[in-house]
Amino acid sequence: MFHFLIKRLLEIIPILFLVSIFIFLFVHMIPGDPARLVAGADATIEDVETVKKELGLDKPILEQYVSYITNLFQGDLGTSLKTKRPVIEEISDRFMPTFWLTFWSMVWAVAVGLLIGVISATKRNKWQDYLGMFGAVSGLSLPSFWLGLMLIQLFAVTLGWFPTGGIESWKSYILPAFTLGTGVAAVVARFTRSSLMDVLKEDYIRTGRSKGLSEHKVTWGHGLRNAMIPVVTMTGLQFGFLLGGSVVIETVFSWPGLGKLLIDSVAYRDYPVIQAEMLIFALEFILINLIVDLLYGVLNPQIRYE
Amino acid sequence: MKNAYRLLSLLALMMVLVLAGCSNNSGVKDDGEEKVAEKAAKEGKDIVIAVADNFTGMDPHDTNDTLSGSAQKTMLEGLVGFDKDMKVIPILAEEYLSNEEATEFTFKLRQNVKFHDGTPFNAEAVKVNFDRLADPNSGLKRHSLYSLIEKTEVIGEYEVKFTLSEPFGAMINTFAHPAGLIHSPKALEEFGAEVARNPVGTGPFKFVEWKPSEGLEVIKNEDYWKEGLPKVDSITFRPVSENGSRIAMLQTGEADFIFPVPTEQADSINGKNGIEIESKPSIIVRYMSMNTLKAPYDDLKVREALNYAINKEAFIKVVMNGHGNILDSIIAPDVQYYEKQDPYNFDIEKAKSLLKEAGLENGFKAKLWGGNSSSAIKAMEFIQQQLAQVNVEVEVVPMEAGTISDKIWSVQNADDAEIELYYGGWSPSTGDADWGIRPLLGGTEAYPPNSYNVSYYNNSDVNSQIQSALKTADSDKRAQAYKEAQEKTWKDAPWVFLSTDNTMAGKKNYLKGIYLLPDGSLSVTDIEIE
Amino acid sequence: MVELKLSKKEEYLQRTLDKSTARTPVSEFWRKFKKQKLAFISFFFVIFLILLALIGPFIVPYDIAEPDYENVLSGPSTTHWAGTDPYGRDIFSRIVAGTQISLYVGLTSVLLGAIGGTFLGIIAGYYGKWIDRIIMRICDVLFAFPGILLAIGIIAILGPGLGNVIIAVAIFSVPVFARIVRSSTLSVKSTLYVEATKSIGAKPRRIIWKHIFPGTLSSVIVYFTMRIGSAILTAASLSFLGLGAQPPSPEWGAMLSGGRDYLNIAPHVTIFPGLAIFVTVLAFNLLGDGLRDALDPKIKD
Repeated sequence: MFHFLIKRLLEIIPILFLVSIFIFLFVHMIPGDPARLVAGADATIEDVETVKKELGLDKPILEQYVSYITNLFQGDLGTSLKTKRPVIEEISDRFMPTFWLTFWSMVWAVAVGLLIGVISATKRNKWQDYLGMFGAVSGLSLPSFWLGLMLIQLFAVTLGWFPTGGIESWKSYILPAFTLGTGVAAVVARFTRSSLMDVLKEDYIRTGRSKGLSEHKVTWGHGLRNAMIPVVTMTGLQFGFLLGGSVVIETVFSWPGLGKLLIDSVAYRDYPVIQAEMLIFALEFILINLIVDLLYGVLNPQIRYE
Repeated sequence: MKNAYRLLSLLALMMVLVLAGCSNNSGVKDDGEEKVAEKAAKEGKDIVIAVADNFTGMDPHDTNDTLSGSAQKTMLEGLVGFDKDMKVIPILAEEYLSNEEATEFTFKLRQNVKFHDGTPFNAEAVKVNFDRLADPNSGLKRHSLYSLIEKTEVIGEYEVKFTLSEPFGAMINTFAHPAGLIHSPKALEEFGAEVARNPVGTGPFKFVEWKPSEGLEVIKNEDYWKEGLPKVDSITFRPVSENGSRIAMLQTGEADFIFPVPTEQADSINGKNGIEIESKPSIIVRYMSMNTLKAPYDDLKVREALNYAINKEAFIKVVMNGHGNILDSIIAPDVQYYEKQDPYNFDIEKAKSLLKEAGLENGFKAKLWGGNSSSAIKAMEFIQQQLAQVNVEVEVVPMEAGTISDKIWSVQNADDAEIELYYGGWSPSTGDADWGIRPLLGGTEAYPPNSYNVSYYNNSDVNSQIQSALKTADSDKRAQAYKEAQEKTWKDAPWVFLSTDNTMAGKKNYLKGIYLLPDGSLSVTDIEIE
Repeated sequence: MVELKLSKKEEYLQRTLDKSTARTPVSEFWRKFKKQKLAFISFFFVIFLILLALIGPFIVPYDIAEPDYENVLSGPSTTHWAGTDPYGRDIFSRIVAGTQISLYVGLTSVLLGAIGGTFLGIIAGYYGKWIDRIIMRICDVLFAFPGILLAIGIIAILGPGLGNVIIAVAIFSVPVFARIVRSSTLSVKSTLYVEATKSIGAKPRRIIWKHIFPGTLSSVIVYFTMRIGSAILTAASLSFLGLGAQPPSPEWGAMLSGGRDYLNIAPHVTIFPGLAIFVTVLAFNLLGDGLRDALDPKIKD
């Protein structure tokens, strides 16, 4: 177990190295000249050349990569081409807002999703099931910009309960966290239902029932624990996705997060920011997946770590 | 089956909720109206302005977007600036003179003005700033605007003289350009390139904090040189890119002023919740360029036909929701030296017969490039519909900003250019005809990748008129040259001339003295709460 | 509890009945599938959608590209059931004609993604060790790649158009399927019967096809149906970025996103395409649930 953990943690370094090469190549392969975009449409060719030189984009690509990776190992993520601020500042400004929004969205979404999933599975083909799954499907198929704008109209403009956007107080979290969480709650609910229904058919559950354990105990105690593997996988993935920031939610609620930063950076071909953001996403995913893999073992001791 | 009925009734319930949600909006607006009548007074003197995008920096010498310029103008000022109608007015200069050849410009400066850090404003401060801009090694994005300045001399404590390396008739407008704002020399020395995050100027407001994602905060400059100004305590700019959210902020009072207001919603919110929409002509022109080097657009008849085939009234009604005007020259009326031309009035029959004369009565296929904002797509779709009437089958190709800039500017040889039709917009930020014409239609020198002449229009008469207008500061001579250039270009029709935009701002009715200039930039110096 | 006993009794009866009558797998599936009333209805709805996709463009009452500037943004009426859009085009006709685009994008992209992902997931889960690690780390990298960036990249390199949108959405689905399939593979692998099959020396290929793959199927199907919805929405957001369907193509998502500036003044422009997406996704999800139950050998109700 300990050995497994060390091995996985050590793996991160070569992976990030590979990711850095992959990302670097991909980003430079996308057509579009950052110097031209940074200089603007009414720039003259001299302006573009100046900017190019200023940004170090006139050097051969290999040299650019070497200087990028050398700086990276020294903990320097570079400077944004667009704002000329250090990339680390651009990202740290936005990381915590995205993190907390993700966190609170996940908290309510997982709680509600699990509840709906369990109820649906145990009350299969009854009205509770249909209601729960209908709710879940709605959550999945509502375009979030539409939901977000509707919520703003109702709760901010009409009722005045919450602000329309930005981060002022805890109230600012309610609407975006609700909008962001609906999709996750839906996914969790559906996976819980489907997985729990599988598990409830298994032999050991039948054994539990025949031993006279209450249905309640069978479901929540034995069943859910075993049904959690796919749910945990899915939840981990969702967490990872959300940590990358949601462009739509951040746009609608003017949330200063990572998703909007990425889109803006892509529009400007702001290479250092794109690269840094993607490295961070990669790291987040690797760590989340590691945690998920560890949780497998907790949930089902039959799974062995090799 | 019982369950299916339940589900169906649930669906119905959902629908009702959705529809209720929608009708709610309109119902509530009426309530809002009554509330606002008493609420028209604002508490406190802190203003919030919601804008559509993040600022890119606070150094006017190194940013090139109008929006950042608007923010910088609250803190920094230039020698001269623009008034409501884009006429040049003195600001930190009291008067200015130039020689006949447009090579020497002398400014008399305003006295007793201090920067926010206490440094006095004088000729030396001006010199430091323009030396910085004119330095080819500065790496500043706005260097090229001032690269003609050969030397800046301090004549006296409050007098400064610029000498250009060659004549440039539009120089006064270039000094009025938002890039010509003046930093405190002490701040430039202290912060270097970091002035982009520590702006210190002479303006009505002082810098407090800027975070690109959260916005900018400025507070009142108690020692502002204009007596009695500013009349509010602070201004906070917040980037809110979603149109609907920006409007919601204005409705709830979280923002006092927003821009731009999407033309789609402008009329429906005007007059409700104490909101006033200001829709004023801008200097932004909309056009569809045609690659004049490429068949069939190398034929004047085809270019004329396309101009006649598009209904500009309908364009303004459908695409601009009525907030715009028909473009009747290559530059907008508020641009210096504008000269009205006879519009190509919508006439399908004329378009068809012109195409017939060009041997294209069966039409042809065309590719229309453009940006991928919803408004650009909307405009291109409209053009597609209009040209279908004369059998021109248009394929609309919206492209993301980086892709399209690559497509346009990676072309090294004009004959290889892939571009056919292009839906574009242009705002000449100096407010002068030169910058409205030369980069877009100024002959081979303006071909990509040098500049933005995507119609590859090259007419030697026009080129020489552009040049002669640059070689003098005499405004009658310049006016004459630009008049001829406009007439000639209009007849050659390298574009389908579409419209000029309106600037669209929304504000609470207690605000006064805040407005958008025709170039789309914001003026807040005189802002006050009633 | 009462119900439970009843169903157990039924189950018992069913089991004894099952043993008495031999059925082909197909009829067995059909028999079980018919029991899922909602899924059954959804199945016919999906068939209906597919038919609509085939004939839709020929039966619409109005030309889907022909503008009518005198009649823009008018609300639902008897002449225009779903109202008209900003160009005065009939929204109902556009939705009907757009069925084929949305279905095509949703189905193909998810199918491609599912095939790739399932393959990788089973290999990784079954063989474990370094194979697993490599595949999963590649998935991590792909995951970390934001979908929009991937799409912009692919479309910028390959050019705009629906085909490339499908590729982008498919690539984005691969790691999701791989992860899910891998985790089910892991739990199926650790069950007794697979261990037993292994111990009697069955070939990996046989074990995978006979035991592992069917065991993972239910997760794949559930996720597949869910993914169709999100694929349609992803394609929609790409269309909105101008990277998907080109105007005047009546792609639902593009219609939905394009109407967002009219949300306050003409909500029907977004509501009807939204409803079309909603109902379609709902049908696929319910169908998926039904298929899942019918395909699962363990369920015999």
